[in-house]
Amino acid sequence: MTLLSLEQVSVAYDNHLILENFDLKLEEGKLLSLLGPSGCGKTTTLRLIAGFLEAKGGKFMFDGRDYTHLPVNKRNFGFVFQSYALFPHLSVYDNVAFGLRLRKMKEGQVKEKVLRMLDIVSLNGFEKRFPQELSGGQRQRVAIARALVIEPDLLLFDEPLSNLDANLRVTMRVEIRRLQQELGMTAVYVSHDQEECFSISDQVAIMNAGKIEQLGAPTDIYQYPKTEYVARFIGFNNFLVFDGTRQGNTGLEWTIGDYGFDVQLQAGQSTANTYKGAIRPEDLRIIPLGQLTDLQKSLSNQVPGTVKVSTYLGRSYQFEVQTALGAFTVNQEMDIPIAPGQQVMITFPADKIVMVAQ
Amino acid sequence: MKINKMYWLLLPGLLFLTVFMLIPIILTIGSTFVQEGKPTLEGYLYFFKDAYFNRILLTTLRVSVFTTVICIALGYPVAYYISRLGTRKKGILLALSIFPLLTSPVVRSFSWMIILGRKGLVNNALVATGIVDKPIEILYTPTAMIIGLVHLFLPLIIITLVGVMENVDSELIRAAESLGASRFTALRKVLFPLTIPGLIIGSVLVFVGSLTAYTTPALLGGKERVISTFLYQNAMTLNDWYLASVIATIMIVITLVVVGLMNKVATKLNPKG
Ligand SMILES: Nc1ncnc2c1ncn2[C@@H]1O[C@H](COP(=O)(O)OP(=O)(O)OP(=O)(O)O)[C@@H](O)[C@H]1O
Ligand SMILES: [Mg+2]
Repeated sequence: MTLLSLEQVSVAYDNHLILENFDLKLEEGKLLSLLGPSGCGKTTTLRLIAGFLEAKGGKFMFDGRDYTHLPVNKRNFGFVFQSYALFPHLSVYDNVAFGLRLRKMKEGQVKEKVLRMLDIVSLNGFEKRFPQELSGGQRQRVAIARALVIEPDLLLFDEPLSNLDANLRVTMRVEIRRLQQELGMTAVYVSHDQEECFSISDQVAIMNAGKIEQLGAPTDIYQYPKTEYVARFIGFNNFLVFDGTRQGNTGLEWTIGDYGFDVQLQAGQSTANTYKGAIRPEDLRIIPLGQLTDLQKSLSNQVPGTVKVSTYLGRSYQFEVQTALGAFTVNQEMDIPIAPGQQVMITFPADKIVMVAQ
Repeated sequence: MKINKMYWLLLPGLLFLTVFMLIPIILTIGSTFVQEGKPTLEGYLYFFKDAYFNRILLTTLRVSVFTTVICIALGYPVAYYISRLGTRKKGILLALSIFPLLTSPVVRSFSWMIILGRKGLVNNALVATGIVDKPIEILYTPTAMIIGLVHLFLPLIIITLVGVMENVDSELIRAAESLGASRFTALRKVLFPLTIPGLIIGSVLVFVGSLTAYTTPALLGGKERVISTFLYQNAMTLNDWYLASVIATIMIVITLVVVGLMNKVATKLNPKG
């Protein structure tokens, strides 16, 4: 069931439109991530949902009710801030109890709920501490506990892990996902970090300049970006700019000049459209030209070139290869790197080329 | 070694303060306990038995307390408003709000005399609108002193509070609202406790300022005396330096007691962090 829907919403700061005719839908019990570069409007979207910002136009429906003009404090949404925003003058216990006391709950019941919530986020024994006496990860968990304990209808996270170190980030995101699933919460999660978004979400929305470029399950987006923007964003650094099609040995081929490429179209894509072929650096293969037979050289999905730069990445080498079709980046594991200046053949595996809208 | 040498830099300032402030104060206080070579408390006994002086003391405290409370009540919302503005607007409004500090106290008080007098703006308006049928007595009463002092000290409390409020993350207010608090409740439960240190500092400044202010109560108070004007009268008009010293000592003690009390309150209410 659709729980949340933004319909044609616009938001402006000082008459400068940040979101224009923005649409978003989210099912109950799912976690949706908003992912995109800095300044694309992720926080703005989240604040709009929370009610910190007023929409200029459009409608925000939640659970069948119109929330567009409902004040923040009537929404019953939990918000986890990037800066945690814990109340510095209150102990951990009082921070978590804050929302419950506003609901005029009896102190006994407050205590029961707070202690259970602190147990869930593994902070038993920390009740009397003050926020500044906690580590970043602990503060984070207090912030989550404070937002969860009011049993919100929706949880909103704004880059909750960005202040933590890499290890803790991984632990905490697993934790957040576990809590969200255990409690059956619906959540919207904002992050810069792709891995974080892909690992904890049911749905990912890739945003670009106030618009959602693509919304889908993490695996769908990761494997089949629909636009060049999304492809670039998730690491498809190489693009083939096709100029036509022709009948090749194995069927229809896309061409760039004399070069032919066998590709696999996704559902809904037609041969009539103009596409770019996107491919990740680690999906390209390079072989020194001298090691190939003439027959091998004549196959499609290959482009010869010269290695310009070779960089050691630890597990693999990264090569910048200049070809007649432009420069390509290739990541490949090998024991002895190919030296700059060498002639190589780049292979583009047909099943790894993703056709994206230009 | 390096740090020890740095302490020498403090010497000129310390010397100045010792010679021109500490020693005179100690001498003044000391002199109140000695008369004609014998230790005595006569000056103090005289004062605390004197009904006239007790009334002056009471007026002074009342004026100072009212001034402080009114300054907080008027200044707090203004400070909140200013603290939430953008840099440019904030600069302009802050400059405007400290304007009263830049005018001479004499000029400021004379303007109030014109406004509050029997034929002044306020009385004219009150009579014209029929709220009262003959001019009321405002000028030369403690009320006039309070009005003048509030005008003088409001900027002080605004500046102090704006400074403290700017340091309260606005996300905290949003957090409270998202947990179900109305804006007012959010301000009461989050902003207010976090601004208590500023409120205390501001109150001390205003209270002590009102206690020791001379020009404003002298011009607006007429025959009504407060401690500072009474002190001046004893020293300059009556040329009684002994009594003037006693009054000065009493003022110092009141100031110290108030600052000490406020400090106590501050440490008790001080939010962590
Ligand atoms: N208070 C504000 N006043 C004016 N413009 C703002 C304000 N807040 C954000 N903006 C602008 O709105 C746009 C979107 O901002 P937003 O904070 O939503 O970005 P974001 O996607 O969350 O970025 P980041 O990943 O850096 O947090 C940006 O261009 C930003 O400059
Ligand atoms: Mg943001």
